[in-house]
Amino acid sequence: MGKVKKRGVAGQAKNYITRTQAVKKLQISLPDFRKLCIWKGIYPREPRNKKKVSKSATASTTFYYTKDIQYLLHEPLLAKFRDQKVLEKKISKALGRGDVSDAARFERHAARPEKTGKPRYTLNHVIRERYPTFADALRDLDDCLSMLFLFANLPSTSAVPAKMIARCERLCLEFQHYLIVSHSLRKSFLSIKGIYYQANIQGEDILWLVPYKFNQRIVGDIDFRIMGTFVEFYMTLLGFVNYRLYTSVGLKYPPKFDQLKDDQGGELGAFALEGINLATDAEATKAITNGESTEQHGPDPKVQAEVDKIVRQLKEDDTNGDKPAEADVAGDAEEAEVPSDAIDKFEPVAAGGDILPQPSYSSSDPAKLFSNFTFYLSRETPRQPLEFILRAFGCKRIGWDSVLGDGSFTTDESDPSITHQIVDRPVVQAAMEAGGDGEDNQTAQKLGPNARYPGRIYVQPQWVWDCVNDEEIKSPENYAPGAALPPHLSPFVKSKEGQYDPTLPLDAQETEAEALDAEIADGDEEEAGSDNDMDVASDNEDEDDDFGGFSGEEDEEDEEDEEEASDEDEEAATTLQRQRELEAEISGKQVKSKQVDPKMKAKLEARKELEKKAKEEAEDLERAKGMLSKKKRKLFEQMQYTNKKKSTEDEKLRAKRRKLEKELAAKKAGKA
Amino acid sequence: MGSKSIDKKRKAPPQVSESESENELADGAFDGVLSQSDDEEFEPIDTEDEEEDEDESAAGSDGSDDEDDDALLSDDIPSDVDDEDAIGKLLTQTEELEIEEPGVDPKRKTDGDEDRNYRIETDANGNERYVYEEIDPVYDSDDSDAQGPVNTIGDIPLSFYDSYPHIGYDINGKKIMRPATGDALQNLLDSIELPKGWTGLTDINTGNPLNLSEEELDLVRRVQMGLNTDDLVDPYPDTVEYFTSIEEKMPLSSAPEPKRRFLPSKNEAKQVMKLVRAIREGRILPYKPPEEREREEEEKEEVHFDLWQNEEPQEANPMHIPAPKLPPPGYDLSYNPPEEYLPTKEEREAWEKTDPEEREKEYLPQKYNALRKVPGYGVLVKERFERCMDLYLAPRIRKNRLNIDPNSLLPKLPSPSELKPFPTVTQTIFRGHEGRVRSVAIDPSGTTLASGGDDGTVRVWELLTGRQVWSVKLSSDEPVYTVRWRPNKDSFILSAAAGEDIFLMIPTCASVTPALDQASRDILAAGFGYATNGQQHGAQPGKEPPAKWARPGTKLEDEGVLIRITVRSSVKVINWHRRGDHFTTVSPSGQRSSVAIHTLSKHMTQIPFRKLSGLAQTAAFHPLRPLFFVATQRTIRCYDLQKLELVKVLQPGAKWVSSFDIHPGGDNLIAGSYDKRLLWHDLDLSARPYKTMRFHGEAIRTVKFHRGGLPLFADASDDGTLQIFHGKVPSDQLENPTIVPVKMLKGHKVVNKLGVLDLDWHPREPWCVSAGADGTVRLWM
Repeated sequence: MGKVKKRGVAGQAKNYITRTQAVKKLQISLPDFRKLCIWKGIYPREPRNKKKVSKSATASTTFYYTKDIQYLLHEPLLAKFRDQKVLEKKISKALGRGDVSDAARFERHAARPEKTGKPRYTLNHVIRERYPTFADALRDLDDCLSMLFLFANLPSTSAVPAKMIARCERLCLEFQHYLIVSHSLRKSFLSIKGIYYQANIQGEDILWLVPYKFNQRIVGDIDFRIMGTFVEFYMTLLGFVNYRLYTSVGLKYPPKFDQLKDDQGGELGAFALEGINLATDAEATKAITNGESTEQHGPDPKVQAEVDKIVRQLKEDDTNGDKPAEADVAGDAEEAEVPSDAIDKFEPVAAGGDILPQPSYSSSDPAKLFSNFTFYLSRETPRQPLEFILRAFGCKRIGWDSVLGDGSFTTDESDPSITHQIVDRPVVQAAMEAGGDGEDNQTAQKLGPNARYPGRIYVQPQWVWDCVNDEEIKSPENYAPGAALPPHLSPFVKSKEGQYDPTLPLDAQETEAEALDAEIADGDEEEAGSDNDMDVASDNEDEDDDFGGFSGEEDEEDEEDEEEASDEDEEAATTLQRQRELEAEISGKQVKSKQVDPKMKAKLEARKELEKKAKEEAEDLERAKGMLSKKKRKLFEQMQYTNKKKSTEDEKLRAKRRKLEKELAAKKAGKA
Repeated sequence: MGSKSIDKKRKAPPQVSESESENELADGAFDGVLSQSDDEEFEPIDTEDEEEDEDESAAGSDGSDDEDDDALLSDDIPSDVDDEDAIGKLLTQTEELEIEEPGVDPKRKTDGDEDRNYRIETDANGNERYVYEEIDPVYDSDDSDAQGPVNTIGDIPLSFYDSYPHIGYDINGKKIMRPATGDALQNLLDSIELPKGWTGLTDINTGNPLNLSEEELDLVRRVQMGLNTDDLVDPYPDTVEYFTSIEEKMPLSSAPEPKRRFLPSKNEAKQVMKLVRAIREGRILPYKPPEEREREEEEKEEVHFDLWQNEEPQEANPMHIPAPKLPPPGYDLSYNPPEEYLPTKEEREAWEKTDPEEREKEYLPQKYNALRKVPGYGVLVKERFERCMDLYLAPRIRKNRLNIDPNSLLPKLPSPSELKPFPTVTQTIFRGHEGRVRSVAIDPSGTTLASGGDDGTVRVWELLTGRQVWSVKLSSDEPVYTVRWRPNKDSFILSAAAGEDIFLMIPTCASVTPALDQASRDILAAGFGYATNGQQHGAQPGKEPPAKWARPGTKLEDEGVLIRITVRSSVKVINWHRRGDHFTTVSPSGQRSSVAIHTLSKHMTQIPFRKLSGLAQTAAFHPLRPLFFVATQRTIRCYDLQKLELVKVLQPGAKWVSSFDIHPGGDNLIAGSYDKRLLWHDLDLSARPYKTMRFHGEAIRTVKFHRGGLPLFADASDDGTLQIFHGKVPSDQLENPTIVPVKMLKGHKVVNKLGVLDLDWHPREPWCVSAGADGTVRLWM
């Protein structure tokens, strides 16, 4: 007789451990366990069979791998947690004794990260463990960046002290500096949640979300301790990533940080990047040089500004063709590193080989997209994202209104070197006439609300984003102030076969049946229109609409109820005819159906045929499905369900678009 | 006191062993002495008050003692003390004591007589003989310190002996008598002047007051104070200098000073180096005021270095599942999306109505015509938080998505067009029945159709034209559950069941020639003579016959209904044997007699089953062999009619079989069930179904094979549809039958959750008729 097997001593029962058991085993408190799990990247597992794992497991029991927990047992952080616990105990004991001085002494030893923002431990080893290579770290940077950018915009709480938030902000700005220097930002998207950015660092696509600069509302019960734990980890991670990135482009990390500039709202400008080799050389400092005028402009009196302007104008004329001098300094430094990046073209020498997809630069170099432009940001535009994105795409000179903070190339709106001005304000109607062409640039600083400086392009902020995403300078007419903007599309969507794509025309993607439907509906309308040419258009239009709606409903019913026999289609056709006749009678016209009929009839017939075919197919499907086993049928139905859901969504979108297009056409026709 | 006792010893040397009496004596004398001396010093009148007080207090503290005292006193001393007349008694007592003192104690005198330590006996010779009492050798008799009487009562309180004259027993078991404690006055006197060595304690062994000598008291005091018990020990002796502190002029050794005295210590150097290293490494910090240190600590930057300097790619743990990235934003998330992405009013309302947790998307697409109008996103922090929670709390499972075309799962079925002919459309609709049509049947010649319904009528129609040719109302309240034709072409007999009655009738219609009519009548009438005989023979008198065969009455007979068979409970199913002489009826509610076999030629009814396991649903004869099938709720049983034994039990696996039909070839069977399943059984193979088909949304009511040689079968369901299957049974035994669903016939309306109740095939053509709950019969072809 075989040995009786005991339950819960081998197999799955040994592989899994519940959270309570894990906490007990590690002898730490639950919050500490949580921290450890977050940092070490240990997450619960779902056993295949809960009953086999634990006798008393409920639905909400979380399981961990026993091996994972064992691995935690050797964690040096665990000792730190225990030490801290002991210290806390000592403090509370001293306080209990009334021994304040003792408690104070212990308190001095205690790490109070919630006050100082600095814990006693470092997470370096954890990061190295979790990300054995730099590429691994980059792969996981999405959440890190989203989190840190969010926290850079959050008010401080007890779990997330102000210092931590300041550090988040600095780390984020440093990271942005790297992106600017390396021109690795690829795409950006203005969403309702915030601004999405996508960068490509060492072949790794990183996507993160930066909220708009508003006070974030904190709704629901959000545990900031958990968030704080994540932020702590992410800060360390980004610090090391930044270091690696900076050194990889030959910069020193951390960059020099100018507290004063930061206090004045310098943001990106508060950092001065230094090369590693030329650390001592003051001139090599690659601060965000906002043209040469940064230093001169701020403190200068008006006269000086005027003189400068003239001088610059002259200079501008000289260097108009090529890049400005300052840009060259930075550019040279980069060019020195660039050559290795050049891509060799693999030309097939002999015929017959397979053709492989080849790596290629995008058609335009992101470093040069805006490099020849000087931007001026109106005070209503969001400066931070614009500054960042413009710089990342090669713009060297950006000016803005002084209310937007320090560090601009110029705060003078009338600066003639400005080529593009980004405006986000409505056109004031009354001022339209007044501020027309008559007033020219000879007038003073103050211009009318709609007045424009000649020789520069006024665009709305979306222009920048659309340019960046399409990697080309878009024509600015669609983006003029006050103009209705073209839709802003997400650059991250990869179009799939059969999926709705708003960039393509409707005809290219609708199904046969839809197209036919639409044509029939159109035909009806046209017909009706031609019928009622001489009649009052308005009262008949309603009827048309009704009619169109009716036919549509009929179609839907047909699709749903397959029991309706084909003769009912004929019925529908006859009713259609009858209706037409009735309409004609009402309007006192002759029945014109004879003339239009052949076309329409063909279409209707085609439609009928399609429907018949669809019905047959459905029937076949039903028959075949019945022969499947239960398991397979379930699987099949599930697949069908998701597919159908997607396709109906797309269908809905197409229908909406068709309607919109029709309306638009009607409007145009009306105008014409 | 000491001297006194010594005196006593001297006086009575032989009484050493008799400690009890001696003690008593001594105490008595002692008391007397004390009291006397007291008397001498104080005047009795002065003491009166105090005495009273004392007495009262004594009475208060140990009232019981008083009584004992009284008893004792009455024994030893004639005087008695009563609480009431304490003073008088006291006075008398003192007098007595005074009297007693000068002379010898009367007791003592008697003691002197009695206390001779020998008895005088006469020995054998008649001489006087002194018999001395046995002297017991006291073990410690040598020990002068030894106390005479040692109380052996142990650890029990003395108060247990309060009611006795003794206070315990000595080592010899002799009673230790209670010493005379003085009376109240004496106590008073005692308290007034404390005798030397008075402690106020009582010796537990003797019961006497415990007095301690000067030395003893001193000893006690020393012990109490923690001093040396010996007086002579000097606690602070002068120190004796063993080693002199004065350096001697001459060294003891002439060895030169060793070198190490002049060298720095290596050990110390080690210690110092330790400290130095600690300082260098920053483990020991030079002192700084705490504020300064804190400030410095705060200023300290985080140290960064190239963490991945010597990175080496590790293969990821196969069990590790990296967290999935968040999906990138789509078009609808844009601040300025294409307009078709904007929700319509209904969609918006629907979104707002649903619970936030159940929403498919947590946002609604919005369109802002300028960037400045975009507001902050309210739930961004929450979203991030949820992501965090997912990262650390959500169990991760790797799910393999099947990336296949769903259509590849479907089996390749032959196209129905290849399997023609089969019915596809409604050819005729027979209207006329009020209420449901329960049953339909096409006659063996295939020209007429009979139907029975809830209105209690049986109607006969022309199959192709749909004209009603004959109708009879069998019952006013019972529905006609079933109609079946006799399967032979030589007759035109229709059977129908309404309630408990089974009617056999010959409808009159154009297709019936008089000859056929007559033949049919003959067949029906043949049994009448036999029946009476048979019944007389077969049925035991007194026992109710299973069925009554009778004529239904003139009115019905005129219509063509010729025989009425009344059974015990209402009949739901009739099935004919292929020869047309027997038919079986099933009445599911009729327990024992639920299945009956009727013989037409003999007008005889038999009940084949004494007992049936489960409710009988339907029964049928095998089309070729003498087998009989009965379906109960779960099983279908097959009986051999010749051998009268159970041949086979089929288990379709359905919860409730509604009907079954046997393939005309005889080797296959289909069963329909109320739990929506259609089951194909191969009778030669297993008891389990060969194929299970679930095409219906509702219960299946009837299943039927085509009998005219076409490989078709159909089922009718409550969902209002009929399904036609191509079911070809190959002639080769080894091949499996091919079953292909070919057509779903829709047309009947569902009334009260009932759809199609019955169906029948045309005997030759690929046509079928169906009876619907909507009151119509449809012919499909």
